[in-house]
Amino acid sequence: MLSWLQRTLRSSIGKKVLMACTGLGLIGFLIGHLAGNLTLFADSEGEAFTHYATTLNSNPALPVVEVGLTLLFLAHIVLAFKVTRENREARGKGYTLRNDHGARTPGSRSMMITGVLILAFIVVHLIDFRFDKPELEEMSLLAGMVESRLSGTVGFLIYFGAMVPLTLHLSHAFQSALQTLGLNHPKYNCLIKVVGRGLALIIGLGFASFPLAYFFGGNA
Amino acid sequence: MSAGHDSSSMKLTLHVWRQKGPDDEGRFEIHRLNDVSQDMSFLEMLDVLNEQLTNEGREPVVFDHDCREGICGMCSLVINGQVHGPVPEITTCQLHMRKFNDGDTIYIEPFRAKAFPIIRDLATDRTAFDRIIQSGGFVSVNTGNAPDANALLVSKQNADEAMDAAACIGCGGCVAACPNAAAMLFTSAKVSQLALLPQGAPERDARVLAMVGQMDAEGFGNCTNESECQAACPKGISVTNIARLNREYLRASLVGKSQ
Repeated sequence: MLSWLQRTLRSSIGKKVLMACTGLGLIGFLIGHLAGNLTLFADSEGEAFTHYATTLNSNPALPVVEVGLTLLFLAHIVLAFKVTRENREARGKGYTLRNDHGARTPGSRSMMITGVLILAFIVVHLIDFRFDKPELEEMSLLAGMVESRLSGTVGFLIYFGAMVPLTLHLSHAFQSALQTLGLNHPKYNCLIKVVGRGLALIIGLGFASFPLAYFFGGNA
Repeated sequence: MSAGHDSSSMKLTLHVWRQKGPDDEGRFEIHRLNDVSQDMSFLEMLDVLNEQLTNEGREPVVFDHDCREGICGMCSLVINGQVHGPVPEITTCQLHMRKFNDGDTIYIEPFRAKAFPIIRDLATDRTAFDRIIQSGGFVSVNTGNAPDANALLVSKQNADEAMDAAACIGCGGCVAACPNAAAMLFTSAKVSQLALLPQGAPERDARVLAMVGQMDAEGFGNCTNESECQAACPKGISVTNIARLNREYLRASLVGKSQ
């Protein structure tokens, strides 16, 4: 017999609530990640960034946080595939001619595609800087690794290009998550929309600023 | 379109979905109508098509219809890829042929969702909605004398919101328009109209749990908050109701007394 928790999480609304909570958690991670990366711009020698990277990597809680973060990602991704498959099955034979009624946005209609592209980017990004990261004593090398990766044409295209699907994904994500959690009120609906799109732009442009700076700024 | 002396008569090419039964593959059939009046409703235009087909000794097209005044929720159709046609907030029976042009080609498809199997041609079985209602969309009342009017006080705000939700005619257009064939707008309207009123309070938790459970069991999709349902709804039901449904469901699941 199903317990109430199992029943809730297996329901359509429960799955969407899990998607929303994990998604909001990942947005929180992105904001923290961006804030940390911005130390790259603090000085030209990369001292602030090295200090940040050393502090972060010497924190004994980091492995626990990494496991938690991995679980957040996995839950979000697995649920996304499950929900998408169910949604396709729910339609069955599709329409021969389909014209939208005008409510869909580029972000909302492409959540699965942008999600997969972001996942592909994360794999590359993890290979670049997580599995290949320097020892704690040599953390000063990291800023240089970032620079050499992002200033090359391929690195630039990957790191700049990936911010397009990320921005699109986030443009629908925030307001959709709040709606799923039932947070909808005439007093705040406009604010939620503006904050959602603003967050998407800030996070997207923020991360895009690194490949832009290294590729076009060169070593000057 | 100006009303010239000959403009009331239109020639149309119709691509109509024909399907013998739920298990038939189905296909489009092309028909030409040469004398369609702009004053006809879309369903009257189909009536003309069916007369033409009958006169030719062919099977008429099966389509759902009943009141033909926009309140019963029986008519359906996806017309040129849009649920209930191109005009917002009306049903197919309220759509008039003056919204089309002479020489137009019109694609007519049934509502498509696994939970709404096609009975024949354009007619779909939407009894999944009836089963969602049966699972909890009701209130318990004492029999006997009618209670005093206004014995139960309802705020104007709540009365208005409940009335707006109750405007849902259960046509299934939300499911047809939803990219995921989800039934969240319908279920949320039916849960909301009762959750907003004191009469709905005794079954509040049990209702939302049962109706969402039935909705999932029928095989509808999951909501991705694209609001296409709201844009397609002939009665303008708002996705605010979906947020309320989510709240009601979480409240009942996490802290509700009913199991």
